[in-house]
Amino acid sequence: MVRDPLSQLDALVVALSGFVIVFLMLALLWGVILVISRVVSGVEHHQVPVMSAPAPAAVPARAAAPAASQQVVLEGIDETQAACVMAIVSHETGIPLDQLVFKSIKAV
Amino acid sequence: MQFSFIGALGEILSGSGFAALANDPRNLIMILISFVLLYLGIGKKFEPLLLIPIAFGMLLANFPITGLLNAPTATSSPGMLWVFYQGVEHAIYPSIIFLGIGAMTDFGPLIARPSSLLLGAAAQLGIFAAFLLALALGFPGAVAAAIGIIGGADGPTAILVASRLARDYLPAIAIAAYSYMALIPMIQPPLMRLLTTKEEREIKMEQLRPVSKTEKIVFPIAVATVVILLIPDTAPLIGMLMLGNLLRECGVTERLSDTAQNALCNIVTIFLGLSVGCKAVASTFLTWDTIKIIILGLIAFMFSTIGGLIFGKIMCKLTGGKVNPLIGSAGVSAVPMAARVSQVEGQKANPANFLLMHAMGPNVAGVIGSAVAAGFMLKVFGA
Repeated sequence: MVRDPLSQLDALVVALSGFVIVFLMLALLWGVILVISRVVSGVEHHQVPVMSAPAPAAVPARAAAPAASQQVVLEGIDETQAACVMAIVSHETGIPLDQLVFKSIKAV
Repeated sequence: MQFSFIGALGEILSGSGFAALANDPRNLIMILISFVLLYLGIGKKFEPLLLIPIAFGMLLANFPITGLLNAPTATSSPGMLWVFYQGVEHAIYPSIIFLGIGAMTDFGPLIARPSSLLLGAAAQLGIFAAFLLALALGFPGAVAAAIGIIGGADGPTAILVASRLARDYLPAIAIAAYSYMALIPMIQPPLMRLLTTKEEREIKMEQLRPVSKTEKIVFPIAVATVVILLIPDTAPLIGMLMLGNLLRECGVTERLSDTAQNALCNIVTIFLGLSVGCKAVASTFLTWDTIKIIILGLIAFMFSTIGGLIFGKIMCKLTGGKVNPLIGSAGVSAVPMAARVSQVEGQKANPANFLLMHAMGPNVAGVIGSAVAAGFMLKVFGA
């Protein structure tokens, strides 16, 4: 802790130290974010094959996706709204649209 | 006993606030200042959510003989504003406001481009420049530190530091901080145009990568852990900021997130504003020091903007022209106004330029940066 009166040199040292510490702390957070991103992407990447373990069954469904997507049953909503719902589901689940199969979408 | 109507009227008048005002006309000046601030808040819309409660608190506090500010004694209850002020005295209100800010803030752009953190750090230059200038003007170290924090462009942080280090100067510091935050669209653009070339302002930045939900959930927990363990004095601000953000991102506390963003934040804003305003009494406010603080606050804002812009230019050079230096000025933490200014200036140079999301990274980094700077000042000058 610093006590008054501060000499000019002390003041300069405090200011410079403070600025450097802010930089170091935020640079450290940069490193933390990079680590988080690496770990999370590694874990999520690792989970994809695990989740798609029953791949043989899923593959035909994916292959059929374009055809299936053309046959989505819409109840109480129009095509624009349906497209929005599909985009939101894809975004929220992180699954690309071409890997999702929608059978029906109805307004509740 | 003989009752006289005129005598009773005279007694009422002599015991009224009007008579007391005549005894100390400085209160009248403070009341007039509160009217000016009310006009700025209502008429000019300068940070009205805070300026209006501050101005009204100032108005109430300067009505004489109300007892609103009286501390409790053995025989009397405390005044209402004295009770409200305890939330500032014990750093409760700024911390709760940070909870709300955390719940409102999307750290996605920062996680997508973490190098933005350095822009947020560079834009704290004004804090330390104003600190040195305040010392040169004769302020004690602790007060100079509190004045410097105005340069962080972060009202709650400025209030928290001032309440700990410079209690008598709290109203002037808070008013300067919020006034200049409202004036950012006027303060920053001339500096942005002065310090950058047209070619730099025209730079279009690449789309940010998508950030996963898990990253957004882990981020507040990791930041709170690292920053608070390293600088424990940042705990009230960083702790609440990150809790608010976790409530927002975890996806299972929507009601709490909504309350923190809206009802709680609004309620505390009223108490915070009144508490700050009620400390603006003539004896401490009507001094040359207040004028010095107002000027130092402006200098602090300008230096912070310059710091961010210069570092933005450095990053522009280092990345081979991939970073538009205009996003550097958003490193001052006035969220989201500083980012909007970057967006507006970028579009003026190149109408196809969309810098808002890129500027949000340094903008939210500035919030963390100013909290770290505040923690440092509290560590160095705190009791």
